[in-house]
Order: sequence, then C-alpha cells, then structure tokens
Amino acid sequence: MTEIVILEGAGDTFLHVLRSLLPLLFIFLVFQFLFLKLPREYVLNLVKGLLLSLVGLALFLQGVKIGFMPVGRAMGETLGTIEYKWLLIPFGFLMGFLATFSEPAVRILSDQVEKSSSSFIPKKMVLGTISIGVATLVTLGVTKIVYGIPFLYIIIPGYIVALILIWLSDRTFVSIAFDAGGVATGPMAVTFLLSMAVGIASTMDDRDPVTDGFGLIALIALAPILSIMLLGIIFGKKLKKMEEEK
Amino acid sequence: MRDIKQVVLEVLQAILPITLAVLIMQLTVTRMPPNLIIQFVIGAIMATTGMALFLLGVKIGLLPMGEAIGSELPKRGALIHMLAIVFLIGFAVTIAEPDVIVLTDQVDTVSGGAISQNLLIYVIAIGIGFFTAMAIFRIVSGFPITYLLLFGYAIVLTLSFFSPSDYVAVAFDSGGVTTGPMTVPVILSLGIGFTSVLAGKSAISDGFGLIGLASIGPIIGIMLLGMIMG
Repeated sequence: MTEIVILEGAGDTFLHVLRSLLPLLFIFLVFQFLFLKLPREYVLNLVKGLLLSLVGLALFLQGVKIGFMPVGRAMGETLGTIEYKWLLIPFGFLMGFLATFSEPAVRILSDQVEKSSSSFIPKKMVLGTISIGVATLVTLGVTKIVYGIPFLYIIIPGYIVALILIWLSDRTFVSIAFDAGGVATGPMAVTFLLSMAVGIASTMDDRDPVTDGFGLIALIALAPILSIMLLGIIFGKKLKKMEEEK
Repeated sequence: MRDIKQVVLEVLQAILPITLAVLIMQLTVTRMPPNLIIQFVIGAIMATTGMALFLLGVKIGLLPMGEAIGSELPKRGALIHMLAIVFLIGFAVTIAEPDVIVLTDQVDTVSGGAISQNLLIYVIAIGIGFFTAMAIFRIVSGFPITYLLLFGYAIVLTLSFFSPSDYVAVAFDSGGVTTGPMTVPVILSLGIGFTSVLAGKSAISDGFGLIGLASIGPIIGIMLLGMIMG
C-alpha cells in the first residue's frame, strides 16, 4: 500500500517561496524608507499581505505537489495505455482547460485587465479565452506525444501565426496576450499537465518524457498568446462598429 | 471582511472543477490506489486554502506594493536610474523564483552537467531584468509595443534555427516558466503603477505587456548560450 505523503518537501517549498519574497520585500522597504514614506499602518498592512501570500503560495504549491502531481502522472499513465486513442483528445482538452482555469496568476491577470479597462474587457472573458486556448494546444500537445509529431513542427508555425496576429489584432490585446502566455505556465499547469504528459509519454516506448514534457510547457505558453490576440481581432471589429455607429 | 468571502468563492470556483473532474475520472476510467486519492483530496484542500490565502495576500500586499514602487519610479531621477532599478528588480525576483530553480535543476541533470544550473539561472535572470527594463523604457518612449514584440519574437524564431535543438526546447520553456505566481503580480502592478502616473498613458493601453516582453529575455538568452556552447 502506498503511503500517504503530505508534508514531504514542505519545508523546502516554504523556503523557496520565502526566498522569492525577500528581494521584493527588501526593494520595497528601501523604497519606503527612502522615497515613499507611506504611513506606518499602511506599510504594516502591506507586509501582512505579503506574509499571507507567502503562506498561501507555499500551501498551494505543496498541495499541488502532493495531490495533483502524482495523480496527473497516474492519469497520464492510464490514458497512455487505453485502446481508444481518440479519447485523449477530449480528455486533454478538459484537463488543459481546468488546469488553466485554476491557475492563480491567470486569475490575477484577468482581474487586472478588467480593472484597468473599467470592465470593458471582463475578467471572465479573459479567463475563458486563456483557458480555451490552453485547452486546445494541450490537446494538440497530447496528440503530438501519442503520434510522435516533432515539437518544432508545431511550435515554429505557432509562433509564426502569433507574429501574423500581432499585425491584425488590437494593440491592447497584443500586450495582454503575451502577458497571458507568461502566466498560463504556472504551478498548476506545469505540475499537473506536465506530469500528465510525462505519464502518457512513459507508456510509449520511443518517447522521451523529458523532451515531450518540455515541449508541452512551451505550447501552454504559446496558447493564450494566440487565443487572446484572436479575441483582440474580434474586439477590434466590435470597436470599429461602435465607432462607425457614432 | 467582504474581501475574504469573495476570494473564497473565487477559489472554490477555480479548484473545484478540476478536483471533481479528477474524482470522476477515478470512478470511471482510472484505477488509482485509494491512498493516492486520499492524498489527492488532501492536496486539493491544501491547494484551495493556499490559493485563497495567496490571492488575499496579493490583493492586500503584493499588488499595492508593486504599484507603489511603480508609481514612485518616474519621480526619481534620470531614466537611467529607473531602468537600473527595474533591471535589479527583474533580476532579483527571477533568481529566487522557485520555478526557475526547478527548471534549471532539471536541465542540469538532463544535460549531465553540461549546462550548469547556476549559469542558466544567471542567464535567465539577466534576460528578464534586461527585457523588463526595456519594457519600462518602451512605456516612456512611446515606442509601440507591437513592434517590440514582433521584433523580439522574430529574433526568437530566427535563433531557433541556429541554436542546438536541446537548448531551443529549454529556451521556450524557460520563457513561460520563469514568470511565476510571485513575480507576476509584482511585475504586473509595477507596470500599472508606472503608467498611472505618466500623463497620456493609461494602464490598459500601456501597462500590460511587461511580462510578455520579459519572457522573451530568457528565451533569447538561452538560445544564445546554446550557440556559444554548442
């Protein structure tokens, strides 16, 4: 019977998160004492928030590590061996969508977009578009692993399409799109989806789990770039119509 | 605090679907040992709680902090000082980013030590620092971000033909991975805070894109590294 692992590596996780927090805190404190001179209670609140995010992130990362990673791997291994290979397509799509949907940084970005655009670009729309984009490319990535399509054949045309879309899409959406690419590859996607991909790859003889895994992350990073810019094209048309109706 | 209720609701909406999906899978398709499922549920609860605390903390602490620094930057001295500070911030948060450590460790192992972890970390951190600074410079100069992104990714594509394929794979991964949940709110709020105090610039049209630009840095850096070492 396999043991239940909960706290293994938790100390490391906590220290890692702490390490990433310290430069921020340090820089902020330098700014605070030299320039900002914000009121003490306000700064205290900020530091409280920082500590909250430290504990929260460490807890989240640990939960993903002990919960989602082994399960993702196990699911991938099971799915790599089923007869009906086409089932991997809806499965990959669903998992790709849900993993992105649960990614904290994706929600933070979506929220900021809504706030900065005064709700003209709703948070749910950004979140949904990013999630669907990743879902699509994860499906592609899973298919790639199963059928052995070389990584470069997918990623290079993908980025070429991205470059073309930069020309066609609304400028604001281009910026958001590339930001979205960076946030989609967060802990949930990278841990869960990656371990799933590695699980699938491990059941196939001539696949190298590492290369396939690496490739999937790049696809996840590319996906929102494409989907948000496509959203931008739609919005651009909508904006033009609004202008014409004025 | 209404904030807390809102965050909890959001987090439940976020993590419940994937948790349910996995559990349904377990009942139908996969046959995982029961201990693994228990572990999964515990992990899901931890992730839910953790994410709630994290989002709350980001709202109260990280985002205002980044915006405070960002909005203060333009008031302090010459452009070159601003860029240097931004470079340092980008560099510092990357060095400590857990995802970067994990990725570079994997690469070090997989390449049998040929690509040392420390070297890779520095290359990635310099890449991010440099491009984040460039992103801020772009906001000030008004140079359209679309051209910068186009240019940057065109270079990325070109280099991908000349750099050894192992490095190319790692390079593309590093671009996505290096902007983790801690650095994202900071860089995001830095850009938004920065644009909020500049006349004629708005957050929505100029504040975004920093993360996207910063991600180009490591990709180019690692591919160049590959061309030098390969």
